[in-house]
Amino acid sequence: MAGFADLNLPAGPDKKGLQSLLEAAARLGYSAVALNHVIDFKEKKQEIVKPASPSELFPSLPIVQGTSKRIKVLNRLTLIVSDPSHCNLLRSTSANIRLYDIIAVFPKTEKLFHIACTTLDVDLVCINVTEKLPFYFRRPPVNVAIDRGIYFELLYTPAIKDSTMRRYTISNAISLMQICKGKNIVMSSAAERPLELRGPYDVANLGLLFGMSESEAKAAVSTNCRATLLHGETRKSACGVVYTVKKPRKVEEEETTLPACKKAKTQA
Amino acid sequence: MRMSVPLRRLRQAPRHLLVCEKSHARHARSRHAAHVRDHAYNCRVSFLIPECGTLPEVLKSTIADVGEYYLLRNLSLHELVTHEFIDTFVKKGSCHALTYNTKIDQDNTAALLPTGKLILSVDKDTYEELGLQGRPSQYSGKKVMRYIITIDLMDPSFHPDSKKHKRVLWALKEKKPLEFDFLLAWCNTGAEGSTLMSYFPKNQIQTLKPKITFSTLRDLQCPVLQSNELQGKPEESCSTEELFEWLGAVLNQVSLDNKSFSFLSTYCCPQPNTIVEQAFLCTITGFIIPEAIIQLLEKLCCYFDEPKLAHWLTLTVHGFADSPVSWRESEHGFHKGGENLYNFVVFRNLDYWLQMAVGTNDDCPP
Repeated sequence: MAGFADLNLPAGPDKKGLQSLLEAAARLGYSAVALNHVIDFKEKKQEIVKPASPSELFPSLPIVQGTSKRIKVLNRLTLIVSDPSHCNLLRSTSANIRLYDIIAVFPKTEKLFHIACTTLDVDLVCINVTEKLPFYFRRPPVNVAIDRGIYFELLYTPAIKDSTMRRYTISNAISLMQICKGKNIVMSSAAERPLELRGPYDVANLGLLFGMSESEAKAAVSTNCRATLLHGETRKSACGVVYTVKKPRKVEEEETTLPACKKAKTQA
Repeated sequence: MRMSVPLRRLRQAPRHLLVCEKSHARHARSRHAAHVRDHAYNCRVSFLIPECGTLPEVLKSTIADVGEYYLLRNLSLHELVTHEFIDTFVKKGSCHALTYNTKIDQDNTAALLPTGKLILSVDKDTYEELGLQGRPSQYSGKKVMRYIITIDLMDPSFHPDSKKHKRVLWALKEKKPLEFDFLLAWCNTGAEGSTLMSYFPKNQIQTLKPKITFSTLRDLQCPVLQSNELQGKPEESCSTEELFEWLGAVLNQVSLDNKSFSFLSTYCCPQPNTIVEQAFLCTITGFIIPEAIIQLLEKLCCYFDEPKLAHWLTLTVHGFADSPVSWRESEHGFHKGGENLYNFVVFRNLDYWLQMAVGTNDDCPP
C-alpha cells in the first residue's frame, strides 16, 4: 500500500492559510498533498501561471505524524471546461503546463466528459458533487478512461458544508460506482480551512457509503493517488524528451506536431 | 437490486478473529509459554487483579526486573546483516528489533525475530529497486503493492563468503540503502560479551525503561466466570466473548453503568456479575520481550498459592499495530486497525483461558 495522499488542496494566495492546511494534513497522516490551481474558462481569459515551487512557498515542511518523513507537496492544475474550444489549451505547448505534476479536467457537459475520457491527455477527471449531474454516465467512455489510466475524482468537503450537497455527492458517487464498479476512483477534499480536512481512514469509510468495497475504498486514498502521480510523471517525461531536441532556430509548433512517442524512439 | 449492494456492505464490519483456548497452567502439554514466546513484539502488558488494592509481594521483583530496551536512530539496515552483529547478538541470545515510526500499510518496515529471521515488508517501488527475492503480501489484492522479504540470518549457507550474503549486503548497502529508527531488545543467554550500548555509537543509541503505572479501581462490576464453562451458562457465568468485551471496556476506562445522560457508551457489564470493592490494575508500556511476560505469568500463577478472595485475574498483552508479523511469522497487516493481542484469564485452580485476537489483515493465530 502506498502512503495516503490528498490531491486537492485549493491553492489560494494566503500563504499562512496554506501553511496551516499543510500542518493539519501532516498531522492527520497524509504523506503527500497537491496544491490545486483552478482555471475557469467562463471568466475572462486566464493565463496559466507558473506554479511556485513548494520549497519557495514553505520554508519548512511539517513532518507526517507517525513517521519521520516530511510531507510532499505537489502542484496540480484543474481546468473547468464548458466548451470544446477550451480543451485546446491542453494541446498547446505552453511551457507552464509542463510544470504541473497533475493535470485534471472538470467537464461540464456530456460531450466534454466523453472527450476527456477518450482523447484528452489528463490524469484526473473531476466529478461534480455540488449539483445534480446534467448527464448520465455511460459505460463506453468510462471503460476507455479506466484502460487509459485516468482516475475519477470525488470531493468530500462540499458534503461537510451543506446538506443538499451531501445528497448530490452521495447520489452522483453511487451512480458513478454502478458504471465503474469502484475502480479508478480518487477521493480528495477541496478543503479551504484545516477544519474541513478529514483523516484518511475516515475518507476511506466514506468510500464504503458510496458503494466501494473495503480495499477499493482504502485504495482510493492511497494506491490510486500514487497511480495518478505516476501517470502525471509519464506525461512529463515523454514531453521532456521533446524539449531536449529543441533547436534554437526551429519554431516550437513544428516539433510538437510529431507525436511524442516517435520522438522518444529516436532519442533513446 | 442494484441499490442494495452499498447497503449490504455497510452492514458488514471489517473482519476480525477471536480464538479462545482453555487449559491448565501446570498441565504437561499446556502451550501457554509457547504462545507467549511466539508473539515476539509486545508494546503493552496490563494485568488486572480483582479484590486487591496494592501490588502483591510476589510481583514486586518481577515488575522491577522488566528489562530495558534501546532506541537506535538512523540505523542502516545493512548493519543488521553484517556477520559481526550476527555473531555477537543474534547467535548469542535472542535479539528482537522492530522499526519505529513506520506504518505497516504505508512505509517500509523491518523486523528481526529472535529466531534470527529478518523480515522486510516493503512497498512496490522499494522491492523493485532492492532486487532481493521476496513474495507478495497476502493482503495486497490484485495489484500487488507490498512485498515481504525474509532473510534467515542463522542459515548455515549465509556465511560471510557465500553468494547469498554478498548479494544481500550489496542490495542493502549500495543498491537501495534503507535507514530506520529501531527499537531493540536483547536477552543475553549468560555468555559474556559486548552489550548493545557498547556496540553502537553513543549518539545513536538511547536506553529506555518501560513505563509502569498502577491504579486501583473502586466498586468495579466484574463478571462471574466458571473455568470449565467457556460459553458461559445463562444465570451462572459469562462467556469468553463477554469477558473480552468487558475487559476492553475496563482497560479503556469506559464507564459500565450506562447512565441515561451518557451518549458515549451504552455498554453494561454482562450478567451475572458481582461488585468488587477494589481491583488492582497495572500497565507496562514499552518494548517488552516474551521472556519477561512468561516470568510475569508464572508469578501471577504463584499469586494463587495463598488463598485469595479473587476468583480469577487477567493478563492482557498488546502487540504493535505496525509490526510486520503477529505470531511466529504470520503476516500482520493494518486495514482500519492493527490489533494483535492476547489475554490470559487465570483462575484460582490454575485453569486458564487464552484469548487471541487479530484484526482484518491477519492470519488466524496458532
